[in-house]
Amino acid sequence: MLSRVAENLYWVGRYLERAENTARLINSTTQVLLDLPVNASFGWDVLIKVAGLDAEFGERYPQAGEDSIIRFLIVDEDNPSSIISSIHNARENTRTVREVLPMELWERVNSLYLYIRENGARALIGRGPRDDVLRTVIGQRESIVGLLTGSMSRDVAYQFIKLGRNMERADMTTRIVDVNSAVHLPADSALAALTSERAWISTLNALSAYQMYRNHVGVHVRSHDVAEFLLKDPHFPRTVRHCLAEIEGCLSTLPQHVDAMKQVRKAWRRLDGMKLEGLTSPVLHEYLDQVQADIGAMHAAVARQYFHLHQRNNGAGENQ
Amino acid sequence: MNARTTQSIELIDYPQPGIYDELLGDDLRPRPAARTLFDYVNRLGAEELVARREAVDAAIMAMGITFTVYSEAGNIDRAWPFDIIPRTMSKREWDRIDAGLKQRLTALNLFIDDLYNAQRIVKDGIFPAEVLAGSKNFRDCCRGMTPRFGVWAHVCGTDLVRDGDGTVYVLEDNLRVPSGVSYMLENRQLMKRLFPELFKSSDILPVDDYPTQLYDTLAALSPRQDDRPVVVVLTPGIYNSAYFEHSYLAQKMGAILVEGSDLVVKADDCVYMKTISGLRRVDVVYRRIDDDFLDPEAFRADSMLGVPGLMRAWKAGKVGIANAPGAGVADDKVVYTFVPQIIKYYLDQDPIIPNVPSWLCMDDTQREHVLANLDKLVVKPANESGGYGMLIGPRASEEERRKFADLIRANPRNYMAQPTLAISTAPTMVGDQLAPRHLDLRPFVLQSNRLHVTTGGLTRVALRQGSLVVNSSQGGGSKDTWIVDTGEA
Repeated sequence: MLSRVAENLYWVGRYLERAENTARLINSTTQVLLDLPVNASFGWDVLIKVAGLDAEFGERYPQAGEDSIIRFLIVDEDNPSSIISSIHNARENTRTVREVLPMELWERVNSLYLYIRENGARALIGRGPRDDVLRTVIGQRESIVGLLTGSMSRDVAYQFIKLGRNMERADMTTRIVDVNSAVHLPADSALAALTSERAWISTLNALSAYQMYRNHVGVHVRSHDVAEFLLKDPHFPRTVRHCLAEIEGCLSTLPQHVDAMKQVRKAWRRLDGMKLEGLTSPVLHEYLDQVQADIGAMHAAVARQYFHLHQRNNGAGENQ
Repeated sequence: MNARTTQSIELIDYPQPGIYDELLGDDLRPRPAARTLFDYVNRLGAEELVARREAVDAAIMAMGITFTVYSEAGNIDRAWPFDIIPRTMSKREWDRIDAGLKQRLTALNLFIDDLYNAQRIVKDGIFPAEVLAGSKNFRDCCRGMTPRFGVWAHVCGTDLVRDGDGTVYVLEDNLRVPSGVSYMLENRQLMKRLFPELFKSSDILPVDDYPTQLYDTLAALSPRQDDRPVVVVLTPGIYNSAYFEHSYLAQKMGAILVEGSDLVVKADDCVYMKTISGLRRVDVVYRRIDDDFLDPEAFRADSMLGVPGLMRAWKAGKVGIANAPGAGVADDKVVYTFVPQIIKYYLDQDPIIPNVPSWLCMDDTQREHVLANLDKLVVKPANESGGYGMLIGPRASEEERRKFADLIRANPRNYMAQPTLAISTAPTMVGDQLAPRHLDLRPFVLQSNRLHVTTGGLTRVALRQGSLVVNSSQGGGSKDTWIVDTGEA
């Protein structure tokens, strides 16, 4: 496999996952907001912070309100991580590697792009249409993963897409969990418990994890149980732990994986060592930052090993 | 017409006196190869046909079949303009054209090999030394080379047109990096998707073995005959107008699509590609980059697209390149005028498909004729492609003709002229009716240790009324091309 192609495939995986998870992040935030009692406060700007896009946003938008943040995250083509940019980048990367992918994959990615281009504006009208558009994005993206799962050989190309997908997914899961650290609970303790529970249910819902949480953890939604589940559960496919296992699996099929594998093990050990019982928001936030830094180190190791032969002429895929 | 007329589809602007229609005879009845098609179209009716056309347009968007148009506003990806009424031709007529194309490419390859070696044809006085001297595409660095099988042009796109009297002519030979074959294949896929019932009868000959034929043609060029050769398609990249095709062909052949920066030539003169497990040797490069940009060491030093050292590797016999560097010497509109003599000289045969009668501006008498008849002629520069830089006399203004006359006098070697042909038409959907539109045909011919011609080729159609320009870069579209076995001997 060409280094350039491997890198493009990896970014196809990352960008598509990013688009889907950004949609999930927005939907979850909207849910949190709807469920909050009137005297609990919550700022939309947390979305920009957890996505790590404060600087880009601040440069071009004077105010951080729901409208401007939604515009920035969904349809702003100058935001390299917006849903439309992610899908556009995934499409351009797919186009350059079509020959190693199932024929229909390009058609699906292309139609996802055409969909968001046509319907992105509708997501700005109000929460109803926005929910509809974002759900469609999530659904179409799921059908793309389904296509890959069902009709692509587990060859090197597949492994690089999967590697990118899980790297991005682990990262985005920590960011979606991080939204909770921005909820300021009301002073009344009964109300605070209720609010906290609702916020965590929204997080679980955003990751399509509520049902599985109830089946495998229990009916009570407590912050440390949810954090434990979303970070460390080995079986649910969006948890950090599960993503690490997937990444390890991908790497084990690739040549010369020793260095990258070391980084995975390091992240794994750190995750295992995190004590989540009696967790406070600031500690959780700090933990999540650590996990994100570990994911960054894994990415760097993969890039060093597999992409270095190919010096990119443009920075299209380089942006995190 | 009978009672069916109410629902059958209407023809407009027919008949066109003096112009041959590919599907309809002078009495406007379908020719034998088009009968099944017309029965079907009439049964379907205008309304259903329009609905199918809309479905085709949607499918083209969804399949992302595009080509890129360069403009100041940036590079725009346009959907491939496609007409759903196919162009038909009888197998009997096609068989003769197939033989003519093989004859032509065989002769052209002997000619190119001769030019880079003994130059017998020049010494024997058949091909003028001054034409060779003035050739932009003759590459000195290729002299003395004999690629495998003596073949230089492995992939040729030959443009054919039909004149008012029904004669099919060769209009030009594209021997550098001819494109369009992917659209031929996609057009058939589209038709099968939208009109599956038409293909139930087996008399429409299939086209889809081209990628296999191309792969075999290329694999034969490998310097390492005992291994499964590593074949790569070298593309200038995503911003090239034919990128879609490069990717498409690589995918269909199971070859690797590479850009110049993916390849490197080492001190052992071998070509390698940069992979996730290090460098891997490449045996055959199907290059879709012009000579000028192929190797900055040998040609344009400022090329960012090419591979430094590629020529060195090729000359050392460590890699096959298709088409071979320098093959473009025969892709020259002045050289074109000599092809009948070239066929006679090397094969001792008469050309099966004639050339369009042409005047060479380098010849004093012929130039005077051209200058005196500019309003009746089409004048073409020797080395442009895509319909650029030519003068269509009858449609040009007095001013344009005067400017062109100056260009010809300044550089006579660079121009040739042909009569304006009454180029044939085929019924094409305009709204919910069928109107005549001019078209040509580009079959693709392959040669290495074997010869192969596509069944039919890419039919390009000028979608604007009266227009003769079929190039996709200038507003042309395309049609599926059916070679129909009508059972005639």
